[in-house]
Amino acid sequence: MTLADELLCVADTKLVMGNWLAETVMNGRSLPDYAAMLGMCTTSFGQTRALYQFLAPGYEAYSRLERGRDRDEICSMNLLDAPPRNWEDQVLTIWLAERATWTMMSGFLDHPDRRVAALARKIGEEAYFHLKYASGWFRLLVEEDESRAALEQVYDARLPLAADWFGPTDLEDPLHAAGERAVTPEQLRTSFLVDVAVELKSFGMVASAALTPPSGDWRDDARRRGPLPEGLFEVIRFKDPALAH
Amino acid sequence: MTISKGKRRPGARGSSTEARYYEVFGRTSSHDALTHLGSVEAPNPDLAQVRAWYIYDQHEWREMCVAPTDAFVPMGRAAQHTTIKAV
Repeated sequence: MTLADELLCVADTKLVMGNWLAETVMNGRSLPDYAAMLGMCTTSFGQTRALYQFLAPGYEAYSRLERGRDRDEICSMNLLDAPPRNWEDQVLTIWLAERATWTMMSGFLDHPDRRVAALARKIGEEAYFHLKYASGWFRLLVEEDESRAALEQVYDARLPLAADWFGPTDLEDPLHAAGERAVTPEQLRTSFLVDVAVELKSFGMVASAALTPPSGDWRDDARRRGPLPEGLFEVIRFKDPALAH
Repeated sequence: MTISKGKRRPGARGSSTEARYYEVFGRTSSHDALTHLGSVEAPNPDLAQVRAWYIYDQHEWREMCVAPTDAFVPMGRAAQHTTIKAV
């Protein structure tokens, strides 16, 4: 896996996350909640755009990345493949995806290319509010029996997908070997799982989901298993490239 | 995952889910005074911060903070009629 592959995986994951937020914004609980969800939506798209521009400077290369790829070329995490089943699922899944992508980008905070380090720092700054949004909702959801049960259910289903994004534990990491990444994805995965457990514990939750990897062959350059589902691709694809400018 | 039980239902009086108003303040540079920007309604300080951050995003704030509206103590002769207002 190259640095470009790694950044594209984060960019595409943010693209799908932005679409999740755009599609579900009307499920917000109040007008200020809509505003927060739309704010997170636009910052997610902004991060995608910044990463695409870094990866593909110039109109044609950028256009292909943004609107010229088929669904088997999109490298978003499997965690976001299935739409949220309920509000608890929405909050928890966005939180896991945000925490996973930020954990991954934190490995590049000291990257020798200052532009990469700056992108990592900016994504971290914006992740602060995205994560805080979920924290605020967790505080509310754990107080209600039905929501608590729903959270337990979706956590067991979603956490293995989030952990899987860091890849099989026996893979070599050329980026770490080349000094481009401070730690290996395996170390980042451990750090991610510890952070998740600690934060959930602060809300009175005890995290204990089994981390069984999902089925399908691991695609190292895409950090996912299998192609993007057709239904999701229909949501995220650029509908009319001729109108783009 | 298991979650500890015995918490109150959302909306119960005194529950952390009861919506409150928070006043929002910000300044764009360290030379500026902290300015009252407005208010947001939120059930807890985390959501108040996030809502304030995305609603009052007309400037790139150097500093921003929120405080519960009921933490402000009106004073003086007009205290009974004091309403916190955005400037």
